[in-house]
Amino acid sequence: MAISKEGDSSPAVQRRRFLALLTGWAAVAWTSVSSAVAAVRFLIPNVLYEPSSRIRLGKPDQFPEGATFLEELRVFILRKGNSYRALSAICTHLGCTVNRVASGEGYFCPCHGSRFDANGAVTSGPAPRPLYWRVLALTKDGRLLVDLNEQTEPDKYLVV
Amino acid sequence: MNNLFELWKRIERSSIGASVFRVGFPRSGLDRARAMVSSFFLHIHPARVNRRSLAPTTTLGLGLASLYLFIILTATGVLLMFYYVPATEHAYDNMKDLEFAVTAGQVLRNMHRWAAHLMVISVFLHMCRVFYTAAYKAPREMNWLVGVVLMLLTLFLSFTGYLLPWDQLAFWAVTVGANIAGYAPVIGEQVRFVLLGGNTVGQSALIRFYTLHVMLLPLAVAMLAGLHIWRVRKDGGLARPDEGPRSAVEEFSGEDVPQTKTYGLMELAHGTTTAVGAKPEDEVSSWPHLLFRELVLGLAVLAVILALAVLFDAPLEGPANPVKPPNPAKAPWYFLGLQELVAHSALWGGVIIPGGLVAALLLLPYLDRSPGGVGVWFSKERRTATTIFTVIVVTLVVLTVIGSVFRGPNWAWQLPWAVTQSVH
Ligand code: HEM
Ligand code: FES
Repeated sequence: MAISKEGDSSPAVQRRRFLALLTGWAAVAWTSVSSAVAAVRFLIPNVLYEPSSRIRLGKPDQFPEGATFLEELRVFILRKGNSYRALSAICTHLGCTVNRVASGEGYFCPCHGSRFDANGAVTSGPAPRPLYWRVLALTKDGRLLVDLNEQTEPDKYLVV
Repeated sequence: MNNLFELWKRIERSSIGASVFRVGFPRSGLDRARAMVSSFFLHIHPARVNRRSLAPTTTLGLGLASLYLFIILTATGVLLMFYYVPATEHAYDNMKDLEFAVTAGQVLRNMHRWAAHLMVISVFLHMCRVFYTAAYKAPREMNWLVGVVLMLLTLFLSFTGYLLPWDQLAFWAVTVGANIAGYAPVIGEQVRFVLLGGNTVGQSALIRFYTLHVMLLPLAVAMLAGLHIWRVRKDGGLARPDEGPRSAVEEFSGEDVPQTKTYGLMELAHGTTTAVGAKPEDEVSSWPHLLFRELVLGLAVLAVILALAVLFDAPLEGPANPVKPPNPAKAPWYFLGLQELVAHSALWGGVIIPGGLVAALLLLPYLDRSPGGVGVWFSKERRTATTIFTVIVVTLVVLTVIGSVFRGPNWAWQLPWAVTQSVH
């Protein structure tokens, strides 16, 4: 680009200078913003190598009436007759594992004392949300399948 | 002794020596100033320094101590990197190796750990001293901001390092800490996901924390600390009561600067210097007065860290077990004030209070525009500011102490000397 003389301020030159500045800064802005966006997007993983969230469990009748705690999965399988539900034991406060209170109705988190009722709703303590209910399904060969990422409502039962 | 001196002179004057040392061992006042200005390592210092800035009570040496701790952390950290592999199958075993199979491994690990804790403390105390001496006021507002960012980076450095041993302490402290971050409004969940590289603390979280801990954050701290200390000089040296009010605008306009001295020596473009308004008698040359004090403080910091490292071993619990949280599960100690609040309300403890505190710190020099009290500890003119700040600091410290030592299993109140019963 031709360098205009210092002090030449005819409208044409001013316009040209303005357009040049505009293009230049637009290029700088575009480069920086798009690189920043790309860098942030780069940091969001597309593939996770976490253990699968869908886990095959035993046959329904292997679970006794009442609650069974699956320690590795941090989930309770609750059985009432032939209906089943799965309740996550991960405290919604800061991620500790909740315990079932001795009397059986309700849950208690040892870390900061949150309490949940039998439906997982918070009755006291700092937990901001109810415990998560997990989706249960049956596999083709008749075993329970729990999905540790999918959420459902406390009144959804799997009836076998 | 004399022979050694002669030998040194010879080295200096030899063609190789002269190519390395521009000035040689400075003996005249002019050479002392030249040494400071012409050496890459020394030129961040002023050539001459106000007597007041050298008095131990002016700074308590806390900023410099923070810098030394950072240097110790870099040196020990780089050594630890030669053995450490950031993989969930190896990390814990590497720690055990450092403790039992590597010569001086345990001591290096201890030094790194205790220096990290002390750096959090010394940076915090440095901030308190800057507040109590009103050293954030014009023209040092920007340097206060740089300082706040440095403190956040220091906390984040410490937090990312916490995960690396991959023991129970590391795993659960970071799980709890990351979950606190998840409470930030709107972006909290995404921040947590990007930080961990997934939904739970696992291999992706480990490599991310490692990269932040050994590359990105130390680089950021090194660059910002350089800027910070350079600004101390460019802002006219340490805050002093007698320097009179000056604004950042004056600083660069070159107006209102009494031309009582020549400043060519300091290679300053804008004529304003460490000595505005000060009489030459108030100053001494940095070589040797400042350098000597820096050396003594550096040795003292190193001695303290070495003593701690020899006397106390850094903790290492059982290997990380994602299905068995310890009870109670605690964040790193400097977040326990927050966790104590989070134990009462996640929204207040995780979002409103920490966010408000950081915002208040960033805005402080722009909200408090009164010029009074600069360079004086607990100046009477600033009684309100001092009181508010003290109340906040004391609250934070008390909450942190409660969260650290008065909380046992089930987050129940417990006296520190009570035997902790692990309820796993
Ligand atoms: C990695 C962390 C930090 C390092 C290495 C550091 C280093 C230093 C050093 C070496 C000085 C010279 C005087 C002294 O030793 O006190 C200084 C001064 C100063 N620092 Fe920091 N600092 C850090 C964090 C902070 C923080 C957190 C703040 C405030 C929020 C802050 C604000 C200031 C201000 C305003 C001055 C000028 C003080 C004056 O003129 O009296 N710095 N810093
Ligand atoms: S993690 Fe359950 S109450 Fe805090």
